[in-house]
Amino acid sequence: MAPVDDEAALLFALIRHRYGARLDEAQLAIVRETIDGMLRDVAALRAAAVPDNAEPVQSFVPFRADP
Amino acid sequence: MSVAFRTIRELGADLRAGRLSPVDLAEQCLHRLETVGGKLNAVVTLTRERALEQARRAERELRAGRDRGPLHGIPYGAKDLLATSGGIPTTWGAAPFRNRCFDYDATVIRRLEEAGAVLVAKLAMVEFAGGMGYRQPNASFTGPGISPWSPDVWSGGSSSGSGSAVGAGCVPFAIGSETWGSILSPATFCGVTGLRPTYGRVSRHGAMALCWTLDKLGPLALTADDCGLVLDAIAGPDAADPTSSGRPYRYDADDTGRPFRLAVVRGTVDGAQPAVRDAFLKALDTLRALGTIEEITLPDRPYEAMTRVILWAEASSASETLIESGGIAELTAPEDRITPYARDVVLAKDYLRALKLRGVVAREIDGVLRRYDAIVGPSRAAVGARLGEEFRSPIRGGAPDVLGAVGNAAGLPAVGVPCGLTPDGLPVGIQFMGRAWDENVVLAAARAWQSRTDFHRRRPPLT
Repeated sequence: MAPVDDEAALLFALIRHRYGARLDEAQLAIVRETIDGMLRDVAALRAAAVPDNAEPVQSFVPFRADP
Repeated sequence: MSVAFRTIRELGADLRAGRLSPVDLAEQCLHRLETVGGKLNAVVTLTRERALEQARRAERELRAGRDRGPLHGIPYGAKDLLATSGGIPTTWGAAPFRNRCFDYDATVIRRLEEAGAVLVAKLAMVEFAGGMGYRQPNASFTGPGISPWSPDVWSGGSSSGSGSAVGAGCVPFAIGSETWGSILSPATFCGVTGLRPTYGRVSRHGAMALCWTLDKLGPLALTADDCGLVLDAIAGPDAADPTSSGRPYRYDADDTGRPFRLAVVRGTVDGAQPAVRDAFLKALDTLRALGTIEEITLPDRPYEAMTRVILWAEASSASETLIESGGIAELTAPEDRITPYARDVVLAKDYLRALKLRGVVAREIDGVLRRYDAIVGPSRAAVGARLGEEFRSPIRGGAPDVLGAVGNAAGLPAVGVPCGLTPDGLPVGIQFMGRAWDENVVLAAARAWQSRTDFHRRRPPLT
């Protein structure tokens, strides 16, 4: 697995690509800092044991208009 | 007769005895919201015309012997993320929407109208209910919410006006919303009682979506008993919200007649401010008179990280248009104009992993809670931040809040009640968190607490 720093750099590059034109360097630095923090949480989440067959808790109900 | 700081039950008794008229009551609340509430940045819109029309109708009906129940003729304020018809703006606390109106009422607004309650104001809130990542109190186009307990202290958020309007005696109750902390935080910092219902207990139809699977609507009031009366009116299934539950709810105000079984999570005050820790530990001494208290350990899970990942992904999607268009540049808090961009990069796989873990956690925590009536802990680890200062937030990872993370991710009910004042005179709160659908149990515990303490009857200096 790639180090978190590398992943952060890649994800930050994506944000810069999408929104760089509307953000200055100081704002982009805040984005980078935010991504670093997010990835610390994501790393903790990925480290937790979760069975593959555990279903995500989300509901979907097929729709059919009445009558 | 002043109506400030009087409970729903007290006001109801006066209304039915003819000692007070619904119109006079509404007028007094409107005046107090305009004067006291205005100083606290608690109000977005006074709904005078609609209020007086509803109050006059309540007056006619009560005189004619038609009683709609405990909320008949009782004024309230609604967090400004609940849709209201009739040309009343619904702003979500955000400058880009300061003039936006809907042509329908949120289900909660409609149910309160059917219960005879009187809408006197749309109340201030943190822009987008805090979903954009704010770091300091000045994050609403109406200004920072101010606690009735100090002109320099934040009211909490994101239901800022709901907390301060009740805490300042402007309205007997208000509706707030919680995704993670937005009811318990203002209830704590404003010294009032706040109830976060079980996810799905109250319809979200017509409420701003911050995170579809985390958002809950609930009351803030002077007592736990009043919160129960309000929940009784707003709970129940709604075809317009497929996540609303079909489980019936009736508030039970009777005492359980047995000792409570309470649990405290080991280390629950680790990281809390010393004054909060001291007040909580003192509260435990009082709670021992109500029943047993056991120290417990929760399974080792990344509760806060899991809940944050869900929050980032859903908040990013729920506000996608405003973020993509660059419209967030018009928001009040500078950080709210930037932080949302970072959330574009939450991977679907990580979001789904969080949802999978959430199911595991929901079962595990129910297994723990089935042995107790409630887990108790500080409502917040800190008192309200000073205006102009950055605060530590569990949503950003800057403060511990395991109970908040577990409770909101698992959709569990919790009631926050005042439990003391710091040496600086700022309110501190304690929460009772119970099993899913056990609002009556946590409310009973909170009522028992309030029957033995007077913290909920103390009045702030600003009022």
